[in-house]
Amino acid sequence: MLASVRTCALRGIDGFEVVSEVDISSGMPTFSVVGLPDAEVKESKERVIAAIRNSGFDFPLKRITVNLSPAEKRKSGTQFDLPIAAGILAASGALSKEAAEKLSTLLLLGELALDGSLRPCAGVLPMLISVKNQVRTAVIAPDNFLEGQSAGGSFITPRTLRDLADWLEGKLPQEQVQMAYVPPPEDTPPSPLDFSDVKGQAVAKRALEIAAAGGHNVLLIGLPGTGKSMLAKRFAGILPPLSEEESLEITKIYSVCNLLGKMTRRLHARPFRDPHHTISEAALIGGGSNPRPGEVSLAHNGVLFLDEFAEFSRSTLEVLRQPLENGYVTISRAKETVTYPARFTLIAAMNPCPCGNLGHPHKACTCSPVQISRYQSKISGPLLDRIDLTVNLNPVTYSDWNKAAEGDPSAQIAARVLAARQRQQARFKGTATTANAFMTPQQIKEFCPLPAGADAILEAAMRKFGLSARSLDKVLKTARTIADLEGKEQIENAHLMEVLQYRPLDRKGVPDL
Amino acid sequence: MSVSLQERLARIRINAFLYLRADWLARLIDIFGSAEEILKQDADTLARQAQMNPSTAAHFLREAFAINPQEELEKTEKYGGRILIPEDEEYPQALRNIKEAPVALYVLGQLPRANQACVGMVGTRKITAYGRRAAATLAEGVAEAGAVIVSGLARGVDSQCHAAAVRLKKPTVAVIGTGLGRCYPPENRELARAILQHGGAIVSELPFNKPPNAFHFPRRNRIIAALSEVVVVVEGEIKSGALITAKLALEMGKDVLAVPGPIDSPQSAGPNNLIRDGAGVVTSVKDIIDYIPNPGLFDLQAPADALQQQPPQTQLPDTHKRVLEYIGTQEMTADQLVEALGLSVPEAAAVLFELEVQGLLSCRAGLYSKSKF
Repeated sequence: MLASVRTCALRGIDGFEVVSEVDISSGMPTFSVVGLPDAEVKESKERVIAAIRNSGFDFPLKRITVNLSPAEKRKSGTQFDLPIAAGILAASGALSKEAAEKLSTLLLLGELALDGSLRPCAGVLPMLISVKNQVRTAVIAPDNFLEGQSAGGSFITPRTLRDLADWLEGKLPQEQVQMAYVPPPEDTPPSPLDFSDVKGQAVAKRALEIAAAGGHNVLLIGLPGTGKSMLAKRFAGILPPLSEEESLEITKIYSVCNLLGKMTRRLHARPFRDPHHTISEAALIGGGSNPRPGEVSLAHNGVLFLDEFAEFSRSTLEVLRQPLENGYVTISRAKETVTYPARFTLIAAMNPCPCGNLGHPHKACTCSPVQISRYQSKISGPLLDRIDLTVNLNPVTYSDWNKAAEGDPSAQIAARVLAARQRQQARFKGTATTANAFMTPQQIKEFCPLPAGADAILEAAMRKFGLSARSLDKVLKTARTIADLEGKEQIENAHLMEVLQYRPLDRKGVPDL
Repeated sequence: MSVSLQERLARIRINAFLYLRADWLARLIDIFGSAEEILKQDADTLARQAQMNPSTAAHFLREAFAINPQEELEKTEKYGGRILIPEDEEYPQALRNIKEAPVALYVLGQLPRANQACVGMVGTRKITAYGRRAAATLAEGVAEAGAVIVSGLARGVDSQCHAAAVRLKKPTVAVIGTGLGRCYPPENRELARAILQHGGAIVSELPFNKPPNAFHFPRRNRIIAALSEVVVVVEGEIKSGALITAKLALEMGKDVLAVPGPIDSPQSAGPNNLIRDGAGVVTSVKDIIDYIPNPGLFDLQAPADALQQQPPQTQLPDTHKRVLEYIGTQEMTADQLVEALGLSVPEAAAVLFELEVQGLLSCRAGLYSKSKF
């Protein structure tokens, strides 16, 4: 007998519908799964056999063929356990005709435990979203329920395979296999991390505020213990709140990576990712023979914090250039090409020199100029070009620290940032640009006219700080953000002067000519 | 006395042997009558007649024949330079006077004239903020007074002193520890260009393409000492090239001056020790100018002393003055200024930018300090 059950598979962070066809015919007892299944799909056979037996059904000792159609697309994931098992029950006649008919209207996603209970699987949200229009009711594991709710539609959430079969037969009332709708929480509790926790460092805080307001990337140069990671961790808290769409995007990515957990319906806080500097290229950018999103995608719409920036391998840093430029990563493999979104704010932190004392008010740096320039040149020019703001964080003495002001709390900063962002949204309405940092050359020309007297400032900066003509655009974009923070229509000279204080690494101690 | 081209080329050859002191080379020329004659000998004769170690003699001949003097001349001339030998009129008299006068001197640009006083200003490569301030202030004063600053184009004090002269468009002489075809440290390429542009000179006794080597530097220090009427040590550790220059200057009978510094700063240990041992103390530009012997020979102006005279800060707005006053002789972060003076970050940034552009402040790794006294 033949049965077909609808299910889903993932490609990138989008799903596509898969029909799991099960044919049972007489012959030597075999069980094969075809249709380009990956290793975890092939393993599902063992789980399915055990789950069917342990649910009190007979496993048919016949020739069983499962075809996952469309057969030319690769399929991975553990969500096929449930549709395959249900298909076998239907095809073997363990289910009544009516039950089998009912089954064919449903979409099934779920991993099976050996005892027949349903386990959650990865990527439920993106898969449900992409088949939203074709399917009315989906069967998912209870632990996937909160996540699935975000996609809309109605759900059946049986605890076990047996429950599903009983419900299909009409032996179990609908309430038993359907979880009640859980309303979303009123509002998310504010993050316990606040900018006012960090004493002093007014300049770095200001730079981060500008970065948040305009989507600029930041390089923090300073010793360990000067507050680099404290500041970076609090940065996500001053970013404007996630829009519905943004929240859905990141929830989809986390769902694909199976990082949501059963308690999470939707991510409401901007992600903060801080991978260790030994991270591989594939882990940072995404990849593998079976592509998975990397840290840059997990940081989508949030913050990617790279501590000890100069310690990352050079090739790892270079692959950051594409996402920093485009806001997405494309991973090409012989069999497929997938694109993951990756628009994040990069906060990089590094020591000023190998010994770490350069710029310390009381300790002498023991590095030679050559060592310092070699250390700093680990960050390549093209990468530095994508960093708009550079700040030195100098260690403070106890008395300074004790006196230091706490500065504005995150909520106040966030309000200013939000206002600046809204100004930008109004300006860029109808274009692909989302923030000042992503302005096209055309837009820079249009929105960043130089005030009178700016020529003298920029000329002096080029002469004095060795500012290249190439970095001039960065200066303009950042100055535009400062003007937005202050609610000014036009860039003013003071804005330019401020930006020029956040310029990159020193000119290696060459005196002015 | 004119020297034949053949002899000139031979001098360039023997000059390439860096393992014999220049006075030994001069002695060889004395023994054999000319450099050409030396190169006609075989190693054995050379060793016997000059009482040299035979292996040194062989090495000497090998090195001398390894370079192409014609090419040296061509390359130097292509850069607009020339190779001087003591018989040339342009060859500095001050160098002819010393025992170890360079056999050949590669020169780019304009050497100081007889009526220009030369002041050697040397110091550490690991300059402190204090050293930067002292070097810039004193060197500007010295250049303003009409003296030519002689230094070594190294990082730190040397570069600061050359740069001060260049800023005032005054000539300065850089005696470098590489061939003229190299620039070491590479970041000083622009400075070297500016020195030539403002009527200064770059001088070396090394073959045109010689890369830097540790032993070149103490060797070139004797040229700095010889060219200078007086040598000023701005900053230097106990064992430093600057102190070698000072020692050589003393041996040549020149005055050595030192800029006193904090007793706990390793970079000031050198000058402080020199002062203890009797060197002149520099607390102003006048102190340096007053030490120039035979001032009647030179065109010198009375120094306008930056140390006594307040810099033209009167035109500065109040906030700028407050920032400068608060920084004083210290190094400070922008955060400290923001805290102490109650400025907002954007305000402070604008003030710091203007002070930096005007050359009153310099910033290194986020620490601001005054660039001049």
